[in-house]
Amino acid sequence: MSPSIQNRIAVLRAERGLSRQQLADALDINVQTVGYLERGDYNPSLELAFRIAEHFGLPLEAVFSRQPFAPMSSQLYRKEESA
Amino acid sequence: MTDDLKNLAGEMRRRNIPPRYVAAQLKRGVPAQDIIAAWPVRPHLDRIGSRQWRRRLLIATYGGWLLVALLSKLLSAGDQRFLILPPILLANAVAALILLNRRTFLNREVLARDSGLDERLVQNRNRAFRLAFQMFAPIALIGWLISFLAFQLEGTERGTGDGFLIYMGVALLGTTLPTVIWAWREPDPPEPEPPAT
Repeated sequence: MSPSIQNRIAVLRAERGLSRQQLADALDINVQTVGYLERGDYNPSLELAFRIAEHFGLPLEAVFSRQPFAPMSSQLYRKEESA
Repeated sequence: MTDDLKNLAGEMRRRNIPPRYVAAQLKRGVPAQDIIAAWPVRPHLDRIGSRQWRRRLLIATYGGWLLVALLSKLLSAGDQRFLILPPILLANAVAALILLNRRTFLNREVLARDSGLDERLVQNRNRAFRLAFQMFAPIALIGWLISFLAFQLEGTERGTGDGFLIYMGVALLGTTLPTVIWAWREPDPPEPEPPAT
């Protein structure tokens, strides 16, 4: 089994108020695939990963990671403190 | 009130609304009609059913063949009751395929062209066909060998019965194996979610 890749798709989708179906339509994939991606049951191809990142307007590493993500709010807070 | 609840229960099934969500909304005082209205009817093609349900169905399908094989060993070929076995086998295979199609639509995905599937579904389909071929080829070969031996050792009458049974088993595998592998491996569908506002 391939190692699981962490992603922030669920958080980003919720943040933008999109349903799974809307995101699936935008990415031209099956709605179940969106669910499996969010749950970590499926690792996307590089091409799909880029499409997802581009859809959210973020760099790839902001959406996918091989390490567990820290909560976005704490990352943002740390950035603001250091600025 | 009872009618409202009956209607709500029916719509919950139809729209796949999680009971926990309904309970939380009712507790907050949201009327049943509003809860229903917030959920669109599930798209028919996205029904895949739980993995547990799918696995039970598949075990029942192949278990049905094993049961018929066992019954055929208990009944002699000349017995009138023997004639009931082929229709049972056929009905079992047809019922499994209909149930898989109606409840899961996985067979549709196995048979779809690449253009109708996304990358995950293409990968799943290819894996299902690859595994199905790897499993089917040796089983069919062993089945052919056993039926040949049955004719040689048991004579025409008994050997025909056993040969037919093996043929039906191999035919069942040949027609269902890719779908079965897909249905067995596909994870539970993601938890349904309320529509975006």
